[in-house]
Order: sequence, then C-alpha cells, then structure tokens
Amino acid sequence: MNLQFKKLLLVIIAGSFAATVGAQNVQQEANLEAAFIYNFTKYIDWGPFGRDSIFVIGVAGESPIIESLNAIAASTRINNKRVVVKTINRGAEIADCDILFISKKCMMPLNFILDKTKPGVLTIGEQPGFAEAGTAFNFVVVNNRLKFEANLKAISSAGLKAGSQLLKLAIIVD
Amino acid sequence: MLKFNDISLRNKLILMQVFTSVVVFGIVFGVFIITDVNSYKQRKVDSMISLAQVLGTNSISPIQFQDPEAARKMLEELQTVAPEIIHAEITNKEGQLFASYSKTDADTFSMPRTSHGKSYSFTNDQLFVSNPIISSNEEIGKVYLEVQLTELQQIKQYKYELAFILLLVALVFSLLIAISVQGYLSTRLLKLVNAVRKIRKTGEITKAVEDKGKDEIATLIQAFNKMMEELQENQKKKDEFIGIASHELKTPLTSIKGYVEMLDMLEKENPKKQFVQKALANISKLERLVKDLLDVSKIQSGQLQLEMKEFNIDELLDETVNASQMVSETHRIERQGGPVNEMIYGDRQRIEQVLLNLLSNAIKYSPGEKTVILDTQKTENELIIKIIDYGIGVAPEERTNIFERFYRSKTLAVHISGFGLGLYICRDIINRHNGKIWVESTGKGSVFNFSLPLKHFSSIQQTEV
Repeated sequence: MNLQFKKLLLVIIAGSFAATVGAQNVQQEANLEAAFIYNFTKYIDWGPFGRDSIFVIGVAGESPIIESLNAIAASTRINNKRVVVKTINRGAEIADCDILFISKKCMMPLNFILDKTKPGVLTIGEQPGFAEAGTAFNFVVVNNRLKFEANLKAISSAGLKAGSQLLKLAIIVD
Repeated sequence: MLKFNDISLRNKLILMQVFTSVVVFGIVFGVFIITDVNSYKQRKVDSMISLAQVLGTNSISPIQFQDPEAARKMLEELQTVAPEIIHAEITNKEGQLFASYSKTDADTFSMPRTSHGKSYSFTNDQLFVSNPIISSNEEIGKVYLEVQLTELQQIKQYKYELAFILLLVALVFSLLIAISVQGYLSTRLLKLVNAVRKIRKTGEITKAVEDKGKDEIATLIQAFNKMMEELQENQKKKDEFIGIASHELKTPLTSIKGYVEMLDMLEKENPKKQFVQKALANISKLERLVKDLLDVSKIQSGQLQLEMKEFNIDELLDETVNASQMVSETHRIERQGGPVNEMIYGDRQRIEQVLLNLLSNAIKYSPGEKTVILDTQKTENELIIKIIDYGIGVAPEERTNIFERFYRSKTLAVHISGFGLGLYICRDIINRHNGKIWVESTGKGSVFNFSLPLKHFSSIQQTEV
C-alpha cells in the first residue's frame, strides 16, 4: 500500500470513528431533549385543551428524538394519559398534537407550521431563533450545555400556562 | 479530716439543710437545662429539615433540567436567610454532587452521607441534616445541610451561668433560713447540754432545765430533771446521815476519852502507862476524824460558822510550826521567810486547822526523814502561805480533784490513812476568807499554797444560817 492510500484509510477510519462518536452524541442529545420535553409537561397546564384520552407528541421531520420519545412513551404517562408519538408529515395533523416538536430536519417552513397550530399545541423547536419566531420553547446549546428558550407570548397564545419553576430556568425570549 | 460527728449540732443542722437545698436545686436546674437544650435542639432540627424540604422542592426543576447554576444560586441565598448554615449540598439520584454552597470563611468539610429518608445527627457543635428530594413519588436527589450551633453554645453557656448564680442565691437563702430555723431544735438541746456541762465542771446539781414540749427532746429533758432530783435527794440523805453519824460517834468517843485520860493520870508504871498512852493517841486520831466528818456535814448543810477577829499571823504560824514539830519524830519542820508583821481578819481557830492539816499532809506524804518548810510571801493585797514538802508530789491530773470530798489519791502505791476530807474542809474555810488554795508540784515534792487577804483589803461574807 502506498502512503497516499494509507492516509486516506486513516482519514476514513478516523472520520467514521468520529461519526460513530458523533452519532452517539447526537442520540444522547436527543435523549436529553426528550427527557426535557417529558419534564416540561410537569410544569405546563394544558387547561381545557387537554381533553383527549391520550397525550400526543408530534415530531415534524426526521429526528433521533423519535426513538427517545418512544422509550418514554412506553414507560410513562403524561397528565395521567397514555403517550403516543406521531410523525407529522402533513399540516393537518399538527392541530391534533398536544406537543409538536419541530426537528432540525423538518422540511416544512416554520411560518406554515405555526399557522397550522391551534390553542392547546405546545410548540418546541431546536434551531436558533425559533423561539423568537414564535415557538413556545426552543432548545439551544450554551457553553456545551443543553438549555431552552421560552417565548411567553407564544405560550399564552397557545392557551397554556407554564409554571414559574420551569420559566426561571429558561432563557426568556420575546 | 473533719468528721461529720464532730461538727456541732447547730452546724450539722445548717449543713444538712444547705446541702439538701443545693442538691435539690442542682438536680432541678440540671433537668431544666437539659430539657431546654433538648427542646431547642429539636426545634432547630425541625426548622432545618423544613428548610431542607423547601430547598429540595425548589431544586426539583434545576435537577430535572440539569441546571446546577440555578440550584447554586438558590443555595447562596442561605448566606443571608440562614447564616448559621455553613455548608449545603444537593446531590442527584446517583449520589453525585449537583450543587453546593459554603459560607464564606468556613473551612472545608465532609458531610456524613446518610442512608434513607430524613435524618439528622449532632456533633459537638454542629448539626447535620439531610432530606430527600421527592418528585412524583420518586427520589431524585438529596439535600444536605451543615449547621453551626454557636447559638446553642451561647444559650448553654448563658443557662449554665444563670443556674450557677441561682444556685449560689439558693445556697445563701437556704443558709439564712437554716440558721434561723435550726435554733428551734438546737436551743432546747443545748440548754440540756449546758446544764450537763455545768454539773461536770462544778460538781453541783443545778436547777431543773425548763422545757415546754412533748417530743423526744422534752422526754430527754424531763428524764434529766428527774435524775437530778433523785441525785439531790440522795445527796441530802447522805449529808443528813453524815451529820447524825458523826454526832452519834462523838458522844461515846468523848466518854471513852474522859475515862482513858483518868486512867492516864492514875497509871504510873509501864507497860500499863504505855498501853494507856497508845490508846489515848488513837482516841485523839479518832476524834479528829469524827470532827472532820462533822465539819463536812456542817459545810454541806451550810451550818459552818466562822468567828471573825483580828489576830497576829506570825504568832499563829510559829505556834503551828512548833506544835507540828513536837509530834513529829522523823521530820524537820522549819519556818522560812521572816516575820510578816501583819494582822489577819479571820477565824483564827479555823486557819490553825488549815495549817495543821496541810502540815500533817506534808509529813504524811513525804515518808522518811524529810524536811517540811513553811514559807510566806507578801503582795500588796494578800499574804500567800506555802507549805513545801519533798515527798511523792501530786500528779497534774489530780491537782483539782484532791480538794473534793472523800477524794483519796489513786496514783499512790502506798496506803495513806484518812477519809480524804481534810483538803475539802481547808478549801471551804479559805474560800470563806476570800482566799484561794491550790497546789503546785515541783519535780521533787509539792507546794501547797493558800492566800489570805490582808486586813486593809478584806470584805468577808457572813456565813449562811
């Protein structure tokens, strides 16, 4: 094997190693976000909007979070209801969710999504600026730590109430 | 070492009361302080656990959202809210440290990580409290608090000092009360004790001790009074007997003496004359003994009377020395000191009796061929007459006893004849002349002294009737 080939091989191996590690990291981050989402529900009051017998978490776009959310759905209840995780492909499905998670890989534009939401839907994003743009919560990474932004107007226009214990930990964005 | 039994009754009573008070108060204060301290501790524990509970509740979301900063900020409030907390820690489900707080300028520490549920433990001056953080029936972490107990120390200190001061006050009060109360018991007993002491000292039976009461002390006092009465009765009977006996003895004795004296005049040839003379000598001796008995009886019943006149003491002294010398074959009786040149106001016959008694004692108690000296010493107000012998002397412990009735020396191996009345009578006579009589013992004999006031300084009491 000549030197060039060796170098290339090294790069490929290192790259895939990093990718694996990166993949692990990504899944970990997704698990953490899922855990946060689960914990959010303890501090949010859906009021009259949480009337269905199941709790629906919709995920728009492909995301490793679906796996994490499924794990949570299998072992817990939210607001004493069975949890169901749905992938959202069409705008019409948005209004049926209690929580809508807009993943990085979502194809639909944010405005379109926000249009389709009705009161009772808690929107959560994971891209910079989403909370400003109108999602109720938005995950951000600050100093290598997972934090979340909160948009109080967005929360109240969704007809929801968020507890102070939650909000005090959030980065308030308006 | 001071023995309890040797402390006076009064002090014993006081000591007992004070001791009781101090012990009782000490116990009471001790119990109070202990319960106080314990309830303070309990309150402290309760309030700290409540605080830990609140901290825990407020840590739930920070733990859930992995925000140790938020938790730490909350803990830092403790600096102002609860300055007695010097360390606080929040751990997560796995027991790892989540957030911690240390009061400024507190040294590093290690908190005992306890097992389940709420718990607390006290060390010397610190309290450790732990409380679980529960969310949705699940324990997601623990709160640990380390509390400095300086306030407790201060409280303890204050209470101990207060208790000590109060104890002192109690001691003083109980002392005062005891001193005034003990009188009730001890005064009555002491009356009795003093009466007994007086009897031992003077040998005289005193009047009955007064007491109004019905308890054991009263019983004791009544028994004592009764005994004294009986003693007095016996004494009286004895004295009466002596008087009667000596009188009865005197009569036939006088008769015997008369006939034997006549025999003495009639009888000229020996050995009959010698026999008679020996009998006469013994009759005289017997006479003297009976006369002494009679004198004692008179003294006891207060019937001894003195015939007071002025007389020349030098004449009397010379007379008695000569008289004594005449009847003593073995001893030399001398007068020393030169003439006194004074007149004495007194009963000459009785003073003569004293001198003759002391001289005969001196001869009796210095067996062998010894010298007996009669010496005089004049001071401004009195004349001291000394009779010095070189005999067996008087033991120090007997120096006052020998002047008692019927006292015969116990320390002598030799048998000395007589009733033991002579010195008793001498003392009575000298006392009535306002003089004193006493004995000194030198290494080689005795010196009997008596004093008589000189004429310009006498005020002699009349005898009782």
